[in-house]
Amino acid sequence: MAFIEIENLRYRYPKTERLALQGISLSIEKGSFLGIIGPNGAGKSTLGSAIIGLVPQFYKGAYGGHVSVGGKDAATVPVSEIARSVGLVFQNPFNQLSGAKDRVYDEVCFGMQNFGIPSDEMRRRADETLELMGISAFRDRNPFDLSGGQMQRVAIASILVLRPEVIILDEPTSQLDPAGSEEVFRAVEKLTESGITIIMIEQKIDKIAEYSDRILLMDEGRAIAIGTPDEILSRPDLEEHGIIPPAPARISRALSFALPDGTFPATQEAAVTLMEGRVGFRKDEKKGEAQASAEELLRTEDLSFSYTEGNEVLHGISLAFDGRPTAIIGQNGAGKTTLAKLMKGLLKPVSGRILLRGRDIAGNTAASLAGDIGYVFQNPDDQIFKAKVADEVMFGPLNIGMSEKEARKKAMEALEMVHLASAADRNPYDLDLHERKMVALASVIAMETSVLILDEPTIAQDDRGKTMISGIIKELAARVTLVISILHDMDLVASSFRRVIAMAHGRVLADGSPEEVFSKEEVLSEAGLELPHTAALAKKLGAEDILLSDASFLAAAFRV
Amino acid sequence: MRSISLYRDNGTWLCRVHPFTKLAYILAVILVPLLLGSLWAYAAAIVLDICILISGKSLRRARALIIFSFTIIVTIFLIRGLFDADNITPAFSLGPVVFYQEGLMKALRTGAVIINMLLSFSILVLTSKPEDIADELERHGFSPRLSYVIASVFSIIPQMMGTMDTITDAQRSRGMETEGKLSQRMKAFIPLITPVVTTSLINTRERAIALEVRGFGSKGKRSYLSPWKKHRGDRAMTIVLLLSIAAAAAWRLASWLS
Repeated sequence: MAFIEIENLRYRYPKTERLALQGISLSIEKGSFLGIIGPNGAGKSTLGSAIIGLVPQFYKGAYGGHVSVGGKDAATVPVSEIARSVGLVFQNPFNQLSGAKDRVYDEVCFGMQNFGIPSDEMRRRADETLELMGISAFRDRNPFDLSGGQMQRVAIASILVLRPEVIILDEPTSQLDPAGSEEVFRAVEKLTESGITIIMIEQKIDKIAEYSDRILLMDEGRAIAIGTPDEILSRPDLEEHGIIPPAPARISRALSFALPDGTFPATQEAAVTLMEGRVGFRKDEKKGEAQASAEELLRTEDLSFSYTEGNEVLHGISLAFDGRPTAIIGQNGAGKTTLAKLMKGLLKPVSGRILLRGRDIAGNTAASLAGDIGYVFQNPDDQIFKAKVADEVMFGPLNIGMSEKEARKKAMEALEMVHLASAADRNPYDLDLHERKMVALASVIAMETSVLILDEPTIAQDDRGKTMISGIIKELAARVTLVISILHDMDLVASSFRRVIAMAHGRVLADGSPEEVFSKEEVLSEAGLELPHTAALAKKLGAEDILLSDASFLAAAFRV
Repeated sequence: MRSISLYRDNGTWLCRVHPFTKLAYILAVILVPLLLGSLWAYAAAIVLDICILISGKSLRRARALIIFSFTIIVTIFLIRGLFDADNITPAFSLGPVVFYQEGLMKALRTGAVIINMLLSFSILVLTSKPEDIADELERHGFSPRLSYVIASVFSIIPQMMGTMDTITDAQRSRGMETEGKLSQRMKAFIPLITPVVTTSLINTRERAIALEVRGFGSKGKRSYLSPWKKHRGDRAMTIVLLLSIAAAAAWRLASWLS
């Protein structure tokens, strides 16, 4: 019998009509790495919650079937008991901190205290795990003072010290920058070698392909298929289930390089092994350059800022923004959000100035700038307060002086754009997080500002959501709206933006077209960034140019 | 986000004294003057509080609490001194306004009680870490849930204040003025408070899950990272303090009976 046995699991959340899980049967062996993929609403997190017993014990609802973890019935054995052998880490690192400890070290020991682990053993495990997760240097810091990425590593360490036999990671890297998520993935990989069973729910398909032994594909509460990464990610119906195959599988399929079993390689390494020496690249003579469009909308001149005296977080930033969609990329703490908030007037610069169409915005409040500069915050729950989606979206337009009729018209147009027009009369809190995020986006789009700033729009979005955001950015750019977005998703940066600004330590390291910025290796390394997946594969196969899209890859590549 | 706890470890002996000894001190310093009934006892208690705070290098930080209480005390003096029902004997007058001895004496007593309570509580909150108080309560049989509330409230409140700032920014970004005229501020109330409540509910639910998967609901015996390093005088001090309460109570009983 496998360590985790799931038989015909069916579950419905309270006050809902749809089954979140519809007859899942699955066995998970000890020591394996299972990746779970699928679009938002597929039931991935619900399945994770069922394994640890939160479904049905915490969430209640209608439950059928059977889940056994190490011989314990997950529906009846208390969660705190199952938690001895199963750990759970979820997306938001902030809410995983106990809030009762003011040192990282004590926070990591909190769970061990609850389980009565002797203090010597506690110290040994805590030291070892802090080292493994690369957070030993923060042991005496207040966990609430850490960045999101650091906090998430504390959250993972807090579970790992409990030495669970299974760890469920529910999109643990969705709020981390590329380097931060790579660190987490590496640490998790080390754990597989130690014999721990890992179940990872992820939207980052390339990562899951790299580390999983098996992948479970879910959609609409059903287990569609389970198999090796190559098998699952080569399925022709993958996109019907809301998953875009990883770059190596897409490219090798397009170039007809199949593995002996007829599947396509899901990882960069396997694709390189398969195609190396068998693919050549034509040199592109007309390289993409960041051509400025005519009108300058926004300008920052020698902008500096510090939250506390003597600790400057931005050092003399001078940038001119025209109508090109612009992505600001860089590690957590590079100063991206601070720069965006300054441009929106939410913060006041210590020195330097910001000009909107040549006019200094120093005397304006953020509210008075609302008609000109829109800002979409990361967390939609920080703004939603109306009982109807349409009313929520109309709030901004009404504030900037539109008539009721006009505001409603703009709100409906914006909801059409984010594919939520049918939800106009629903309560925003009856929608899922990724949909609420779209409501927040629509509520700013409806204000028809000439500048729109997006702070991490892809968090909580699946591939469908990302494709939709990419389309919205292009549509807004066509309407002469300057879209500036802070992003960690390099594939979206490559596909949707004409200009990229790479930042680190409060300075601009590079500014240009995506091709220009991604060709600067020293910049990527200093800013802690990675190449987009298609470009990384092309580079490993010997391409000299930066090939950001599948189309440019396939145009340049030829079989030798 | 920083904790809003007033505790600072300044390395003095007072920080090493067990929180229970400080609780016993609070109990003694409030009950003994109450039982003795003499204003001199209150004066002695206040002097003792101040001496302890000075030797623990914490008087400066207690000052803010005392200054805050002064407005209340001045109000009590005015009301009692001028309007108390027992006022008979004029003490002094300021122009046409006459203050009476009886009311002033009552106000003095109430003021002394307030200052004494504030100073003695400040000894605990300025020199004991909330986490230590919570841990010690738990070790001595109190519910882990109670000790969690004591320890977490100091970081959860600033976290909520941080959320409030973000919400204010998000609504200002959508053109809502949050400053200026009172009517404008009133209008801003619902758009600001609703997300605070919903976000807090979402966060609380997630945190409850996070605590559960870290064994918070576990019924077994808990362990602790480090045993409390007892201050040499903890036991002796606690005995003396509890004895002083007993002695005062006995004296009061005796004086009633005689």
